Amino acid sequence: MTTAAFDTLTDAHVESARRAHPGAFASRWSTAKRFIPLAVAILYVIASLWYFEFGRLLDASERVWALLRNFVVWRDMDTWAYRQIYVGISQTLAMAFLGTLLGTLGSLVVGFLAAKNVMPFGILRQIVRRFLDILRGIDQLVWGLVFVRAVGLGPLAGVLAIFVSDLGTLSKLYSEAIENIDRKQVEGIRATGAGPLAVIRYGYVPQVLPVFISQSLYFLESNTRSATILGIVGAGGIGMIIIERFRASLYDQVAFVVLNVLVLIFAIDWLSKRVRLWAIGEQGER
Amino acid sequence: MSDISLSGGGPLANGAAPTDAVDTFERHRAALRASKRGWTIFALVVFAICLGLSIWISNFYPERLASGIPRIFEYFGTIFPELQWANLFEGRDADGRAVPGSITYWYTDFWTYAQLIWETILMAMTATLIGTAMAFVLSFPAAINLAPNSWIYWISRRFLEVCRGIPEILLALVFVFMIGIGPLAGVLAIAIHTAGALGKLFAEVNENASARPVEGIAAVGGTWPEKIAYGVVPQVAPNFFSYAMLRFEINVRASSIIGFVGAGGIGQELNRVISFYSDDRVLAVLILVVLTVTVIDLMSERIRHRFIGRENL
Amino acid sequence: MLTLENLSRRFGENMAVADATLEIPDGQMVGIIGRSGAGKSTLLRLLNRLIDPSDGRIIHGGADIAQLKGRELREWRSDCAMIFQQFNLVGRLDVITNVLTGRLYSLPAWRSMTQIFTAQERAFAIQALDRLGMAHTALQRAETLSGGQQQRVAIARALAQEPKILLADEPIASLDPMNAKVVMDALRSINQQDGKTVICNLHTLDTARSYCDRIIGMSAGKIIFDGTPDLLTTDMAREIYGADDDQFDEAATSTTLPDSEAVVALKEAAANV
Repeated sequence: MTTAAFDTLTDAHVESARRAHPGAFASRWSTAKRFIPLAVAILYVIASLWYFEFGRLLDASERVWALLRNFVVWRDMDTWAYRQIYVGISQTLAMAFLGTLLGTLGSLVVGFLAAKNVMPFGILRQIVRRFLDILRGIDQLVWGLVFVRAVGLGPLAGVLAIFVSDLGTLSKLYSEAIENIDRKQVEGIRATGAGPLAVIRYGYVPQVLPVFISQSLYFLESNTRSATILGIVGAGGIGMIIIERFRASLYDQVAFVVLNVLVLIFAIDWLSKRVRLWAIGEQGER
Repeated sequence: MSDISLSGGGPLANGAAPTDAVDTFERHRAALRASKRGWTIFALVVFAICLGLSIWISNFYPERLASGIPRIFEYFGTIFPELQWANLFEGRDADGRAVPGSITYWYTDFWTYAQLIWETILMAMTATLIGTAMAFVLSFPAAINLAPNSWIYWISRRFLEVCRGIPEILLALVFVFMIGIGPLAGVLAIAIHTAGALGKLFAEVNENASARPVEGIAAVGGTWPEKIAYGVVPQVAPNFFSYAMLRFEINVRASSIIGFVGAGGIGQELNRVISFYSDDRVLAVLILVVLTVTVIDLMSERIRHRFIGRENL
Repeated sequence: MLTLENLSRRFGENMAVADATLEIPDGQMVGIIGRSGAGKSTLLRLLNRLIDPSDGRIIHGGADIAQLKGRELREWRSDCAMIFQQFNLVGRLDVITNVLTGRLYSLPAWRSMTQIFTAQERAFAIQALDRLGMAHTALQRAETLSGGQQQRVAIARALAQEPKILLADEPIASLDPMNAKVVMDALRSINQQDGKTVICNLHTLDTARSYCDRIIGMSAGKIIFDGTPDLLTTDMAREIYGADDDQFDEAATSTTLPDSEAVVALKEAAANV
């Protein structure tokens, strides 16, 4: 049996194939049905952009150009307060470091309280967990704003915001790490007649410490990134300098600071990737 | 390790006292501990320097903390509503006034909030769709195995990195300046950030896709877009979908705060109530935001699981 | 007529194919044999231009294939179908769409990107599948099929291209002997009944002997044998496979089955192909 060439395929061929395998021939409706999700998505985007007044982007061209020009053309560079800018950057790093440190210390305690295999009182554990859910549910920036209201402008509010949101996330991760440990090692320590604190020190800590350290390092990285924008609500660091300059229409300085922030963020990404690779490499050698 | 057992094995076999073995072991242990101690001290010193610098730079002194903490609790005291059990579920009275102490009184502006939350979700949906579309298109030239040439690969990679690197809220700030206060600025900012973040993930998925179907389509005379559409997309579509859904969850959170710089959504109201009032309105909005984020997370998780479940059949 | 003139391909220091010069008349069934790494696969990919040659020319219909670019290159690929060892189907698409991809070259871009195919194209794909005895699987996902079935779908895809030349890179290396026979019989029938040139990489000598009009032996990138199967002596085969003198046994490269009932049944099935 040979096949008829494509060009010589007659309607009769097509009809007989259609009769033998009706499913292989898409009806118009089934073809159209494939495109419905795409069409709905496109229509939705168009409608919502219209609702969000997309036309404003087209009207704004003059301001866009003015802004872009100011971003690129830097004037009076010798009058810029470089010291203030770099103090802001170091403040950002300091906030991230302190916030993560406090968050880690707090999570060490709360993590054990929220772990099923350590915390025998179910009610207390549930309370701790719901509390952590609330801490996590509110964004770091909102915490920043709240603490600015409570303790005033400055890095203290930023440190507290990082601390609180880390407490929510790290405690959950820590408690999960604690719940996933090997029971046998703990039994072994308990069998020596050790007290509850000694059981935690020798049974749990050696198993969970590596996980804790790597999580905290990862959080240090992500907090440095988020700390750059905490200042936008007044919680100290470089973000505060950005928003001040922005309000004062010093766009060339804003561009300079933003560039610095981007370099900082990329540098941190790179550094933390190196540190993680180094840590993995060392473990691999062992 | 082996030299310990060797040097220890000889004397033992001769019936002599095993002091050599203990000696060697002790020497090794001492050397190991010394080197370990060196590293520990080094790490501690670095840590202490970092800590000291941080405390100094951010003025994080005990007295400031001590004076700050009571104020925190004071503040949290003020944002709690004064609810009264007796009137908790009272509606509005004949004049249309709510009874103090009732939930209706606490949530007087509920419909304003509801409308803003609706706007927040719309913002997140639009931004996710636009960002996903951009990420989808860019992820193929940004995958090393699919990029038509190294120039296009390099440019699309760098472009995605920049999109991802700029924090959303900074982008929103710029957009607010350019096009004015309103949700459009937020949508654009989140969409750009989404394009960068998803584009990178998508490109990684593409790089893990099997090259065989692509080769098959190349061999029938397919163009580059055809190789992508037939050879790659069917392989990666399920992963793309679940990444996009996860991003939608993240974007709901982002659009709920992006209003802090005037870029629309409930964040604008949240910023207003926190900055200008310190009463129960703060908590009212906060509760709504947390509820929204939680509900969206749960729903999106359901959809993802159902979709993946169906895919695995 | 397909002519190769001093075709070479270098990978770094290594010459994967060195100075290949060949003339293959239309309608021949050619088997290329050799050890793995002898350059068989590279040679086939050079012909289809999935790999670009470092040197030399490929002449077909008066044009130098080695110089083609863009649309002309894609036209050549569509004229010169390729069957792969690992089938290279799109696992998550259904069988009929996989076969329809064979027609991509002749499709306008908007239809190929929206995956809209005409009834005539679908009928043609069904016809190609039917010839391989796979039409009943048309709506299944390709990845749900067995290896032998997938290779038959891949051949149907090649038929949908209406190629002048069919290249097959180790088409049976991943298949069990029964499926290998079905696939080789299909290739033979395409060669004899449709008169298409078939160039086939094979790792087993006896398959090449029983199916091919002409055998080309490769070793370390060079063509060291070119002739009809009966000219291929045991000594020559030993040189091609580079085996030690006393160890070489033609049966060691064999995939022939003793004729059991199953094989008789399968042969009947294959006869219908």
